[in-house]
Amino acid sequence: MTRTRTSLLIAAALLAARPAAAQESVFGVRGLGFLAQPISAHSAAMGGGESMFDGNSAVSPASLAAWQKLAGWAVGAQSNRSFNPGSGAVSLNSMRFPTFGFATPVGYRLVVGVTVSEYLNRNWEVQRADTVWPRGLAVPVADHSRSVGGVSDVRFAAAYRVSSRIAVGIGLHTLSGSAQTAVERDFPTDSTYHTFAQVTETDYRGFGVSLGLLASPTKRLVVGASARFNGRLSATNPGGNASVRLPSELAGGLYVVPWDGITVATTIIHDSWSVAAPDLVAAGQLPSRDVWSVGVGAEIALLRMFGEVVPLRAGYRWRQLPFPVDTALFVSERAASGGITFSLAGGRANLDLAVQGGSRTAGTLKESFTTILVGLSIFP
Amino acid sequence: MARTSAWRSALLAGLVAAGGCNEKLTTPGRCPELCPSNSVQLVDTLLTGADVADTTARGYVLTNEATYVAASSLDSLKSVFLIRFAPVQTQWAQTATDTVQAVYPPDSVFVELPLVFRDTTVHPRIVFYRLPAWFDTTVTYAQAQAYFVDSAVLDTVAVPDTGSMEARLPTGLVPGPGDSGIVSIGARVIADSPTVVAFSSGHSRTTWPQLWYFVHGQPPQDSLTRNLVDTATFTTFVQSPAAGQPPPGVLAIGGLPAAHSLIHFSLPGVVVDSAGIVRATLILNLVRPVVGFPGDSFFVNAVPILRDYGPKSVLLPDTTLVGVAVVHAGQTGKVELDLARVLRLWGTTVGDSMPRAVMLGVLAEGYTLGEVDVWGHSGSGGGPLLDVTYVKKHEVGVP
Repeated sequence: MTRTRTSLLIAAALLAARPAAAQESVFGVRGLGFLAQPISAHSAAMGGGESMFDGNSAVSPASLAAWQKLAGWAVGAQSNRSFNPGSGAVSLNSMRFPTFGFATPVGYRLVVGVTVSEYLNRNWEVQRADTVWPRGLAVPVADHSRSVGGVSDVRFAAAYRVSSRIAVGIGLHTLSGSAQTAVERDFPTDSTYHTFAQVTETDYRGFGVSLGLLASPTKRLVVGASARFNGRLSATNPGGNASVRLPSELAGGLYVVPWDGITVATTIIHDSWSVAAPDLVAAGQLPSRDVWSVGVGAEIALLRMFGEVVPLRAGYRWRQLPFPVDTALFVSERAASGGITFSLAGGRANLDLAVQGGSRTAGTLKESFTTILVGLSIFP
Repeated sequence: MARTSAWRSALLAGLVAAGGCNEKLTTPGRCPELCPSNSVQLVDTLLTGADVADTTARGYVLTNEATYVAASSLDSLKSVFLIRFAPVQTQWAQTATDTVQAVYPPDSVFVELPLVFRDTTVHPRIVFYRLPAWFDTTVTYAQAQAYFVDSAVLDTVAVPDTGSMEARLPTGLVPGPGDSGIVSIGARVIADSPTVVAFSSGHSRTTWPQLWYFVHGQPPQDSLTRNLVDTATFTTFVQSPAAGQPPPGVLAIGGLPAAHSLIHFSLPGVVVDSAGIVRATLILNLVRPVVGFPGDSFFVNAVPILRDYGPKSVLLPDTTLVGVAVVHAGQTGKVELDLARVLRLWGTTVGDSMPRAVMLGVLAEGYTLGEVDVWGHSGSGGGPLLDVTYVKKHEVGVP
């Protein structure tokens, strides 16, 4: 009875907390949107270095093998940003839900789970003032463009413990979502012109498959590797259909425990986004590029509070974003991070808190951000 | 207990997370780097042949249905007005128990005409004439001249600047016993220079012509008095030149009898199918200066057609879609009406099956003398033009 109720509650939480998140970056207006990172709060605290090995993150399906009992998790992220478009700094903030999921063991060696993550964030909102010259006369206009939505990655995955030192995993990915784009042009000083407003909804569909491997050659070392192969992302709206080839992703990582209570982890990911370039160019966009993502972090689990171990984490990450803001003007992102985990309810729940501070730059354009992540894992 | 605590902790954590949520997303655009790759593009197009068929029909409001009667000595418009009052009552009594008294002969009679319009730069006077009780209501201006002879003059009264004009009439105007009891009068204007004067007609909703007659009782009740009043049952004015069908190539709008002009459009799909029409101006070139009371202004409107039955078309009863322009008497050049909402309607699914036609008319017909004559599509002075500004089809999101 209790197990059934727990499962239903987790399922309800999964349905309610869709990752239709808010704008994560001003740079998300370009290309296919802002490339999300499907990692948990405690992986984020370690700069994403642990994401290859973290059962709460959706980088490698083999990481589900970390779960030995039913688990559910969710992550919320509040981002505060500062950006100067040249006319003075503006403060922006948003709330999103990068990932959530649940997993359960089936027998002793097999673990299955479902993870719902952000893949592409297409939330953005832009306002600009301009002057146009219809009928040969200058008319001030105010343009307001807004996109709400994105592409979610629903992963159905299974991990299998081949032995006490090796785990493999496979994931089937369904990409789906939609973006509602609203465009409005107002003529604030000339009432002879009527406001133009248009709302277009675009649906996205795509598929992918991922494979993962975790191996522990020694007691204090785990190595991981994963590969993900995507099909095409199809987009449909009343204006037509198009599809974009999506990248393959190769990732590798190390998880080292040099001393008891101290962990160091790193994950390196390569996405071949340049394969999307021809389709983007055909759609009138600038070509994308291959991107790297590197994260490294450490965890110290020596502090005790209220009789429980309280792990402290720190990390650093750097990554490239695939879509340029101008010809050959690409965005890179770097961030330092830290975090802490509280064990709750006698070890049946974990509350992960993380904070990231960093910047995204493209030439002279710079966006600074501070993101607070709250992750909750439940093991009923 | 531990299980309950876990869920309570989860709820607490959720509230902590949700409590900090807020959104502020709007970025000032730095273009082109941080703006959507496809921006709004305006396109201007002047459609010279959009009017493919047009016609004028007159008689939507007749002269005897107008809210005013006009007497004019203008060179461009000569007119006189004709009024028939209800039958004069023949008896009266102060109370139900008093002796019934005869009205005839009254002590005095006068007519009251509420003023609608006069030109204050001249000093017009109204000359009243006695008309046959049952004058011909279809009489023309030329035919009516037979009534306006010196032998039929009742009185000549200066027109006041405001209020009502009152003219004392001969008591003999009130018919005696055995007569029909009907009083009819006519009037024309005379002034230092050509002018026009208008008074409320029997169709005015606030004031109207009245015929007052004052009576007193017969002995021994000769101290009793009473003011009796009659209202008009028929009011009209006849004019020269008579408003008729405009010449070929000309469209008439307004006047009396009121004229409507129907214009059928043929519009390119790129215009109609564009939901982004931000401005659409129907430009009408005037054939002659706008007709109307000197210094007066009135509204010309364009109403979309719901069902096309020619002059008897059903108009769309939505005032938000009506294109309106203010015109001034004596105006020359052109009249411009906003049709953006109408074109937008035609571009929608609901409006897709509607005829691409508008009916031009004068707002508050029967309340103004105003008439606008414009060139039609076959006119020599340049037919109606449609200047459309629209947003080029805006495709977003693919991919």
